[in-house]
Amino acid sequence: MRGLRKVLTPFAPDQSGAVSVLYSLGGLIVVIDAGGCTGNICGFDEPRWQGAKSAIFSAGLRDMDAILGRDELLVKKTIDAASRIDCKFIALVGTPVPATIATDYKALKRMMEKKTDLPILTIPANGMRLYDEGEAMAYRQLAEVLGEEGNENKEESETVIGQTPLTYGMDYKDVSLEQMKLLGNSKIIAASASGVSFAESMGLRYEAKAEPAMKYLTEDLKGKVLVCHDEVFGKTLRDNGVDLDIATFFTLHDSIAREGDRKISEEDDFTKMVLEGGYDTVVADEILRELIPDFKGKFIDAPCFAISGRH
Amino acid sequence: MTKKAICFTAGKLAELGKENIPDELLSGKGLVYSSPATLAYNSPGAEGYGVKRAGLAVPESVMLIVAPGCCGRNTSLISNMPGYKNRFFYLEMNENDLVTGKHLARIPEAVTEIVEFLKDKTPRVVMICITCVDALLGTDMERVTRKAEEALRQKGFDKTRVRPCYMYALTREGRRPPMVHVRQTLYSLLEPMQKDPRTVNIIGNFAPLAEGELQRYLTRAGVTHIRQIGTSESYEDFLKMASANFNIVTDPEVRAAAEDMNANLNIPYIELTRVHGIDRIAKQYSAFAAATGIEIDDTEEREEAWEAVDALKERYPDLTFNIGESSNCDPFELATSLVRYGFKVDEIYATLSPERFVYIKNLARLSPDTKVYCNMEPTMIYYDMSGSKADITIGKDAGYYCPDIPNIAWNTDIKPFGYQGVRDLMNSIASKLEEGRA
Repeated sequence: MRGLRKVLTPFAPDQSGAVSVLYSLGGLIVVIDAGGCTGNICGFDEPRWQGAKSAIFSAGLRDMDAILGRDELLVKKTIDAASRIDCKFIALVGTPVPATIATDYKALKRMMEKKTDLPILTIPANGMRLYDEGEAMAYRQLAEVLGEEGNENKEESETVIGQTPLTYGMDYKDVSLEQMKLLGNSKIIAASASGVSFAESMGLRYEAKAEPAMKYLTEDLKGKVLVCHDEVFGKTLRDNGVDLDIATFFTLHDSIAREGDRKISEEDDFTKMVLEGGYDTVVADEILRELIPDFKGKFIDAPCFAISGRH
Repeated sequence: MTKKAICFTAGKLAELGKENIPDELLSGKGLVYSSPATLAYNSPGAEGYGVKRAGLAVPESVMLIVAPGCCGRNTSLISNMPGYKNRFFYLEMNENDLVTGKHLARIPEAVTEIVEFLKDKTPRVVMICITCVDALLGTDMERVTRKAEEALRQKGFDKTRVRPCYMYALTREGRRPPMVHVRQTLYSLLEPMQKDPRTVNIIGNFAPLAEGELQRYLTRAGVTHIRQIGTSESYEDFLKMASANFNIVTDPEVRAAAEDMNANLNIPYIELTRVHGIDRIAKQYSAFAAATGIEIDDTEEREEAWEAVDALKERYPDLTFNIGESSNCDPFELATSLVRYGFKVDEIYATLSPERFVYIKNLARLSPDTKVYCNMEPTMIYYDMSGSKADITIGKDAGYYCPDIPNIAWNTDIKPFGYQGVRDLMNSIASKLEEGRA
């Protein structure tokens, strides 16, 4: 049955992706929720939370706040916190609650801009999309709101977009605010689907390459190989001579996909692809092994935090 | 901008009075800081026995979480615990469902598929867990679960019940918060049966209450069966809770369920609160004995509890504590008890409410300089332990704020009660401090 999961737990959602991008940038991040979504983000999806503090707050919505659409109260709480917390911007990150009550993010932004000089980012995540979409939205907001005009594509340095903990665990690479402001001066490396989405939607030139994938480039990748991870992870191995197909639960861009690659959604999609594809080697998060008990080939564990929550 | 966490002394708070508790200490007045405490209690599915784990307290039950993917995301933390494999399932909502509500029509099919998937281990209960979205959509879950049961009957699964379980973080401070509601749901499964005058239920906890004096007093009084949801070995065993003579309520969040059981199963209840003041424990047992007509001689246990307090006091006469709320205690009550024993309390990290103000009054009298911080307050991001004089901290959140001070989390699932709670706490503190010395 579509949408029913019997083995896997749900993957990292868009709001976690958005926070993952913003985490280390010194902003005041307001998750517009009742508390549960922030609990999921900080308590589960953000491995940096235990070690490095970030100003992530829950809006602490209660039923009547949502039913009555108390935007003024949210603005007041946010501006009050911003006056007491040292921050470089305010980011409003959506969840299913504002999605259900159709929160007007533009109005919230305008209301806040009247009360503070801080830049306001709005990321209308809804908890039903996947993390890579939330990451791409956050990158776009950073570039659109904070980006500076007049930069030419000088490519003086590299800016890696999309190498967050959700895809690569502790092999993550943060962008800085400066990099996002001056993107035109950089060569853009899209390290995951969110990087590709961002660069393509902004019309930027980029190279799709994932450095963390390189450690899997070993002699074990034999025969017909299936890589089930992020698309750029698979592409990187392919670009280095491995004959493989890509399966991904996340975005598969036309610019990356080759014949045999597939965007999958259901548990059964993965099982079928492995068993019907006649693969000798599968590279995927260990948790997916449970879906293919009859697979007799070689299984190489490539953790993806967004799938299993493992580093 | 002063980068400092906001706090108030107990003396100042008492002076302001319970009608004038500063906004910084109250829930709902500001954004909520992501401290370990707020992540746990603000998120009803998060740590310890949140709604998800609590909903599976009944043996032979499974749970279908019908929600946006984000709501089930952290469930793998529980799925990996012993006893939870193959007990969580997910029906993910999408954006169309939000508009059309079509996900509700798919629930009966999903429930049937899960029960068939489990083959030989047919569950006796399928809990349907829904979240904030359905709270706002006003979903009639009673109707949905009835439909799901009908679908199961058509497939020949006659004994499996389907019940709703509401993980509504939005209603955390409402009349029926999620943790109250889930307890009502669990005990609503009980059906009237013949009474056994020698059976007593202890309700409130999900894991069993630690074996201790309360059970001994009941046994000495002739009670032959002490039933708890956490000690039920099977669904049939759990159903026998309906035969109890009376319920002992150990957590105020089960009071609504106890009221339901009184009305529907004719089981009256009596409340016993988990406190750390020895005199208060003694008074409570005395009132309990008078109300139930059983005899309780607690001389020995009371003396043992005092001995544990005295031993710690003798070894560490000037011991100073910081106390958080991510623990099995009311931090204000514990602070008051410790101060009465002659210890010092430097800082408390907890959300204040008018109901807890009685402890503030006592603290103001005994320890006016004790500082009260609120876990929710945004400026807690600037909390700095260097100003603290504590030798030891209690509570997971206190350990987070003061990583360089010895900490006992005091948050196990199986909780000690009464005098035993005092003894265990004193002994744990002593062990932790000895560990530091070694």
